[in-house]
Amino acid sequence: MPMKQSPALRPKPADALVVLAVILLACAMVAAVWGGGRGLTATVSVNGQVTETVDLSRLSDPVVRELSANGYTLHVRLFSGGAEVVDSTCPNQDCVHTGHITQAGQSIVCLPARISVTLSGGAENGVDAVLG
Amino acid sequence: MKLTTKQLTLCAVLTALALALSYVENFLPLSLAVPLPGVKLGLANIVTVFALYALGAGQAFLILIARCTLGALFAGNLNALLFSLFGGLSAMAVMALLSRSKHLSLYGVSIGGAAAHNCGQIAAAMLTLGNTAPLYYLPLLLGVSLFTGALTGFAAGLLFRALEHTSLRKA
Repeated sequence: MPMKQSPALRPKPADALVVLAVILLACAMVAAVWGGGRGLTATVSVNGQVTETVDLSRLSDPVVRELSANGYTLHVRLFSGGAEVVDSTCPNQDCVHTGHITQAGQSIVCLPARISVTLSGGAENGVDAVLG
Repeated sequence: MKLTTKQLTLCAVLTALALALSYVENFLPLSLAVPLPGVKLGLANIVTVFALYALGAGQAFLILIARCTLGALFAGNLNALLFSLFGGLSAMAVMALLSRSKHLSLYGVSIGGAAAHNCGQIAAAMLTLGNTAPLYYLPLLLGVSLFTGALTGFAAGLLFRALEHTSLRKA
């Protein structure tokens, strides 16, 4: 019974193309997954309605948003690594005392003003390990 | 597909060999050198490469299906079937394509197969988990596949050299 096809047993120059293709694919995945997906996104809600989503990784300089709702005014500072409420006119100042948040899943809530800032995305995706 | 007795026997032997290789592979302390889950040498791929060249894509496909099904049954883990089928079929498809090229050696074909195997397994993981988190792991696995693919290509080469003067090689 003859072999269907005899393979070349020694490496050929074109093999480098396969290696290159695999490396390029790996680099493309790194760029797509780690580069694009790593950035945190801040979602600002007022009265339960999302008013703004900001891709924090694209912020080179911090920005301050003035948010007014239900008779109170907050100054929210958004920077590349997270967010914080700088000051608020609300009575209990819980939002200010929360300090700055930097991890996906964290949030700052000001109940009297019904304003919240939530971080999402980034490397945090709720999976600790993948076992094959 | 019509198989002669000789072909059927060879397919059965190769299936058994692939199963034995993936079992033996578990004992190699590769995880000491590369402490990452899912990183395997993929020794069973030697059989796929060999079958692809010696018997053609049809019989290589039969061997692969039998190997994946029996392997999952032996392991008592039918979840693993999805992973090995996705990985095995992707590798098989890519290698069947690459082996048509006269410009590629066993090394190129086998590295392409190893990389495709990892892509298939990541796809299976994404399907199982229902999110794209496993994608984070793919670049790493692709890097490792360059080495494991070259190694299985080398091993398959040894096999072809050893069979040089047998009836399999004689046209």
